[in-house]
Amino acid sequence: MSPLLRIGTGVWLLGVSSFLALAETDSAAELPWSFIAPVSEGLDQDLYANWAFDDVDRFIAMRLEESDLRPNPPADRNTLIRRAALDLTGLPPSISEIERFLADPRSDSEAFASVVDDYLASPRFGERWGRHWLDVARYADSVGRTWNAPFVYAWKYRDWVIDSFNQDKSYRRFIAEQIAGDLLPADSVQQRRDQIIGTGFLTLGSLSINQGTGEAFVLDQIDDQIDVTTRGFLALSIACARCHDHKYDPVAQMDYYALAGVFYSSWTYPGQAHVSDHTSSGYVDPEMLVRLPNSLDAPLDRVRSLPNGIHTMGDLRQFGGKAPPPFDLEPDWAMGMRDGKPVDCALREGGMAWDRGAVPPRGDLRIPGLPEFPTIPEDSSGRLQLAQWIASPENPLTARVAVNRVWLHLFGKGLVESVDNFGATGTAPSHPELLDHLAVDFMADDWSMKRLIRRLMLSRAYQMSSEAQAKGMAEDPDNTLYWRVSPRRLQLEPLRDSLLQVSDRLETEPPAPGVMAGNGGKGRSKVRGEIGFHSPYRTIYLPVIRDLLPETYGIFDFPDPSSVSGQRHITTAPPQALFFLNSSFVEDCADDLAQWVLANSAGVEEGVELSYLRSLARKPTIDETREAIDFLDSLQEGEEAQRWATFLQALLGSAEFRYVF
Amino acid sequence: MNQLDLSSSFSRRQWLGATGPAFGSLALAALLPRWETCSAGANPLAPKDGHHPARAKRVIFLFMNGGPSHHETFDYRPELARAAEHSSRLLPPALEFRPSGQSGLLISEAFPELAKHADDLCLLQGMRIDTNGHHQAVVRLHTGNERFVRPSLGSWVVYGLGSEADNLPGFLTINPISNLGGAGNYGSAFLPASFQGTRTGTGSGAVPNLVNRRLSSADQRRQLEFLNAKNRRLADRLAGHPELEGVISSYEMAFQMQTSIPETFDTNSEPDSMLDLYGIRNGVSSSFGQQCLLARRLAERGVRFIQLTSNGWDHHGKVGAGVQDRAAAIDRPIAGLLSDLKERDLLRDTLVVWGGEFGRGAHEDNTGGRGHNGSGFTFWLAGGGVKGGYTHGSKDELGAEAVEGIMSFHDLHATILHLLGLDHKRLTYRYAGRDFRLTDTEGIVNQEILA
Repeated sequence: MSPLLRIGTGVWLLGVSSFLALAETDSAAELPWSFIAPVSEGLDQDLYANWAFDDVDRFIAMRLEESDLRPNPPADRNTLIRRAALDLTGLPPSISEIERFLADPRSDSEAFASVVDDYLASPRFGERWGRHWLDVARYADSVGRTWNAPFVYAWKYRDWVIDSFNQDKSYRRFIAEQIAGDLLPADSVQQRRDQIIGTGFLTLGSLSINQGTGEAFVLDQIDDQIDVTTRGFLALSIACARCHDHKYDPVAQMDYYALAGVFYSSWTYPGQAHVSDHTSSGYVDPEMLVRLPNSLDAPLDRVRSLPNGIHTMGDLRQFGGKAPPPFDLEPDWAMGMRDGKPVDCALREGGMAWDRGAVPPRGDLRIPGLPEFPTIPEDSSGRLQLAQWIASPENPLTARVAVNRVWLHLFGKGLVESVDNFGATGTAPSHPELLDHLAVDFMADDWSMKRLIRRLMLSRAYQMSSEAQAKGMAEDPDNTLYWRVSPRRLQLEPLRDSLLQVSDRLETEPPAPGVMAGNGGKGRSKVRGEIGFHSPYRTIYLPVIRDLLPETYGIFDFPDPSSVSGQRHITTAPPQALFFLNSSFVEDCADDLAQWVLANSAGVEEGVELSYLRSLARKPTIDETREAIDFLDSLQEGEEAQRWATFLQALLGSAEFRYVF
Repeated sequence: MNQLDLSSSFSRRQWLGATGPAFGSLALAALLPRWETCSAGANPLAPKDGHHPARAKRVIFLFMNGGPSHHETFDYRPELARAAEHSSRLLPPALEFRPSGQSGLLISEAFPELAKHADDLCLLQGMRIDTNGHHQAVVRLHTGNERFVRPSLGSWVVYGLGSEADNLPGFLTINPISNLGGAGNYGSAFLPASFQGTRTGTGSGAVPNLVNRRLSSADQRRQLEFLNAKNRRLADRLAGHPELEGVISSYEMAFQMQTSIPETFDTNSEPDSMLDLYGIRNGVSSSFGQQCLLARRLAERGVRFIQLTSNGWDHHGKVGAGVQDRAAAIDRPIAGLLSDLKERDLLRDTLVVWGGEFGRGAHEDNTGGRGHNGSGFTFWLAGGGVKGGYTHGSKDELGAEAVEGIMSFHDLHATILHLLGLDHKRLTYRYAGRDFRLTDTEGIVNQEILA
């Protein structure tokens, strides 16, 4: 009997009428796999009972067995805690955390579960996982493009993302607040304000604010909103249909404009004004922000009066060419969305702003396979219905896309490798049944991100070692079947944060907000963030200024902050090595770490041990200790502290430090 | 039976036994047929073959920021002079033109040195763009598209071909503009960041973190050996992870770059005759001369795409004097570059590209000046497989509108890629669900200018 009691991809469970109609008239086989609802009917729990911790493992094991491959043994505890700490918090484990875990007398599984729970509860968790989402949300603190004016209040949205992960906000709510937080009911004033901040998601587009007509600008803004919404949540590039029907996916140009009507009926408040809409405030215009309400029933309005202080481009003029001070901040101001006059958006022939065609009713999406769009009341934009449509268990894409993103961050690649593209040109899932199983369980478990992450980390598959294995190397060198844990390179943020942490320089408290200065414009380098690469704060809190990113960001593959980027590139190039060999940032970290090691150790052997423990989360082998001492002795120059710094700099530049294993 | 062949009393020891003996890198190498093709660990800038045999191996792009007037540089319109006699709104050509070289190409008096290379120049007189806005035109020139953030021409080129410069970036842009698209003009957008242009001055601060201020070279070498030994052990243990091999080779390359880059950027070693060839000891042309000399040194070392920028070509007033002034800064440097490349037998396979975002109109703008003119302007190419002493396309009588041999930037890009051995229709990158290319759905290779 098949171990899969019944796991099909062609099973229609949902009673949505359009689905059934479609199933009768149209062959489901013509739809991309991802448009067919995920189905999971569970696995025989006796399967691989002596190895599997979770159904995840059963799905992995089935495929390994088919290929006659064996999974690696578990990683040792040192490796495991470092992996978990970096994956969950973006920081290496402290020595006391390592010692506690090593000394934990409980079984490996129980002890590890408590490590995972501790890190999930840490405020550092949201700072790591929030950053993953900010990649998708094309987060930045300036608009980029022609005039690159600052987004003075973008940080409120950034912090909202961090908080959402820390609070384990249901992913459905996470979606809904970003699309329609201003329209959702709230139990408290605080909740209402937070939800409105969530809509900042839709206001972060990179646009040319001094170009073209107002109408063309609005349509470009809507295009960005459609793109980030559909690719971010559905991994579907509906924005491809702006000028013509989608070439590969079943998305028509009419669908695009039906969706555009939803945003066309909304006001977008990025805190910047397009050139067609200027007041004396110029591009940086707080009247283009929402004013967070202080009661539950007051209607949401934009900012209408400006207090004294530095708030606008006009306010900066008095400083002439000198470096202007940062903007003053108002607690009630935020980037966000508000419903406008409901009006459907005419199709534009070839995407040209003034070449109007038919006018599809907003929300009248007819994408085969996707659920019916809820009816939009006449007096509303339809953003609430858009949120419902996406954050619906009936939407075959939403949960799959979400669990796939989580899988990517824990296993190094997605089950669907094209994480932002579940359409016909995307890649097929490597383990379709596993993906569906996770998606269905995720929805049943109240769309809890923390519980999904916990579940995956407590699987056997996550806890394997990353060692090479002859058969696996020969038959599946890319580890597509997960016979081992693939080593993964630390991204820019955990890398920089780890360097700060091990050298005792990290300031875990977030910096005070109010970090943007300058108004952009022709000399665009005038816009600047006040917190730089050398500051002690976690990287997520450094302002992201489009087109003016620190060089080190590019060197370590920080994604283009103007585009949806669910997965980062991994390049290995000499400028990375130069950063470790010569940058003052690494040198300073190595100096401080050397001071710390010398202050906390008696004798050279203990110093080497402490160095390894602190930077690599393990003790050195006897050979490594000898090698380190020989190296220290071989150095010709410098005082003791400098020689230790040279040694520690090498540890920090080692592949072992730069990768998770 | 659907059980892995596991003993029911699972223990770590048995599993270790079951996974086979540990083994070293020698054994592994034989097991890794895909080693060479793994992109993640291989140097992303390793040279790659193009789609067809290349006529040019590298590009030096001389970007004239502001929109240089073709009327005062490379497109003589006697009809404009005559028509201007009857219309005060038209501005006659402000400078004299002279037939130059065997080919007799007409070149403005502002370029006496460059005129000596007329027989190497291929004038593209039919350039056209449908905008007169600096920003749109500059970004489209560099990336093909100003509406969306797209990879730049240089990024596509190094994505397609890699670089032959072992110890240098594959795409360098010297003194680029910071506005009008700024870093986006040499950015890699959705292509991996290693294909983005490296911004540099003419000094040795070309590449960040190049200088170690603390360690002697000997001690740094020891540090590197310690690091390499450690990385090597790890790579062997986790064998088959090409990225780790990439880390090891990146350190070796970085160490070499510490000497090779300052050496490349140090033009002090050049003899005085060379400095004079490029006009470096002349105050007016010193700066661009430095850039041109550096461009030659980079080209010599195999850098794939080199961009230089000359600013100040936006002559709304006094276009004659303005062009004279700007040309004085670049004439000898460019002429020197062409001579030097030819002397070293590099011009054969180096494509030199000159031009700005658009040209200037036939009508008078401010006093004695011209407004933006996208509907017709001039580029020239030299070297790398193009006809010399040749004119392609033409504008109308007044030099306002391209009428023959019309080329868009997509066409120019397609042609540049073609000369480099790349088919612009096949040089694609999959992003957001579709295959993107530099020329979008357009671009026609100009076959007529191929030598």
